[in-house]
Amino acid sequence: MTDQLTALTTIFTEFYYWVTVVLMFLIHVGFCMYEVGASRYKHHQHTLMKNTMLIPLVTVTWFLFGWWIYWAFPTGPGIAPSIMNESTALITDDSLFSAKFQVATSSIMAINLGDHINGVFWAAFLLFSWTAASIVSGAIIERITTFAFGILAIAIGSVFWTIDAAWGWHFDGWMLKILGYHDAYASGVIHAIAGGFALGVLMVLGPRIGKFSSSGEPRNIGPRNPWLVTIGLFLIYTGFWGFYAACNIPIFDLGPEYGMEGISYWTATNIYVTPTTLSGITFNFLMSLSGGLLAGYWIAKGDPFWTYSSGLAGIICASAGNDLYHPIQSMIIGMIGVVISYKLHYWVERKFKIDDAVGAVAVHGYAGFIGLVICGFVLNGYPSSGYSVGAMWDGTTYAAINPLGMFIGAIIMFVVLGLIPGYIIAKVLHGMGKLRIPREVEIAGLDYEIMETAKSDEKAVASATR
Amino acid sequence: MATVTNWIDHLNKPADQVAGAIYPGAGSSEGLLVILAIIIWVGWHVLTSKSESDELERLARKRHGPNDHKSNITDW
Repeated sequence: MTDQLTALTTIFTEFYYWVTVVLMFLIHVGFCMYEVGASRYKHHQHTLMKNTMLIPLVTVTWFLFGWWIYWAFPTGPGIAPSIMNESTALITDDSLFSAKFQVATSSIMAINLGDHINGVFWAAFLLFSWTAASIVSGAIIERITTFAFGILAIAIGSVFWTIDAAWGWHFDGWMLKILGYHDAYASGVIHAIAGGFALGVLMVLGPRIGKFSSSGEPRNIGPRNPWLVTIGLFLIYTGFWGFYAACNIPIFDLGPEYGMEGISYWTATNIYVTPTTLSGITFNFLMSLSGGLLAGYWIAKGDPFWTYSSGLAGIICASAGNDLYHPIQSMIIGMIGVVISYKLHYWVERKFKIDDAVGAVAVHGYAGFIGLVICGFVLNGYPSSGYSVGAMWDGTTYAAINPLGMFIGAIIMFVVLGLIPGYIIAKVLHGMGKLRIPREVEIAGLDYEIMETAKSDEKAVASATR
Repeated sequence: MATVTNWIDHLNKPADQVAGAIYPGAGSSEGLLVILAIIIWVGWHVLTSKSESDELERLARKRHGPNDHKSNITDW
């Protein structure tokens, strides 16, 4: 950097993403507190370790191949040509944003004075990966082995969500071109896929012992500590601010980017490099949170667990279009998503005996899916990209946002990349006898021996005289 | 409803038109949205007030003592 303006823009952008990563770390703190609060005392420490160990497992695999997948897969491969090299193959050539530069042996995957963005952008996406895995973690507490969860966390965190991000979030993604897919703050790209994946795992894993009576009636288990649940969810809200910020480019000149001669237009953009404002999305974030809380309080008759979760579900439902909605639209969409998700949660629980311990499939999966479908109607006709506008199914141009494309996109996120892989991997782990802890251990508690040792230590210390 | 259908065309407009509202229905739907918000706001108070009153009346009819809640503290 040789001039001050370039340096300021670059360092500001680098610092901006760095701060979003710090903020998003609170999402993981929140998930850990929330899961421990929701689980029973005899499972606490294992529950905590399970969710904590996804940090290194996903981080290392994200460094080794997850980030590469994001940059390699926007074309499908084989579905729509890249706007960079006009090929439908994996993007591994010498193009500017090629996956070739995003391998562990690349010089920009390290401290490099010629690059100020790759590391912070990598980390922002990594924190999205942790979130995807954490969503699954909550649903399956108290009966899954840590080994199985580790495999599932890597699958959703470093493989499947990054494929969907390449398809539906990357500026060159085929879902934008063919379907007119739009998902600015990840209703589908993070939440629907993680919720679908969790549902696929739950179908194989089965319910916790005692969850259903002999006649099939569901019973409520916990939460052990409502305060931890409360603080955990507030921290997730807080981290969600960082998540929203990380989905933007803070300052960018769109004139040259869109090939417009002599025009300069500096703005914040969303992930698709189309204009939005941080100010505008702040309105929408808070109004959709409020819509979710209002609807959750009403539908759950003041139940704190569901009211807090509904605030999150409200944001998640409106997130697909929160770069463009009016704040009141965001609020109403958040409310609709919460009511449908809540009803669907209890219907699925009773009908299919699915034990989703924290309502993760509803809050993330159903709300995300509904949010994508609604976005197709409300933003019908908006361009999915700034680079060009064309017909649906064309592939060489970008289709406009439309209801059918968004519905197909929701199916791809929830079912194709979420539920089906989750089900298959869980089936394989189940076949290997590695999915579920032994019945006796589940009854006694995963922490039984830790607690037993602690108790005998306590007695020994209490009776000690020196 | 869409106020923008092509970003390049939109950004090529005169500066005062580029820097405007871009939400769906801009310039035509704000009044309706505010009316909807007020209806929801009032409706929410009516519904939750009724629900809370029903719940409190039901609880009051049971006439629990000041220490009865202690037997309901869970130890999951």
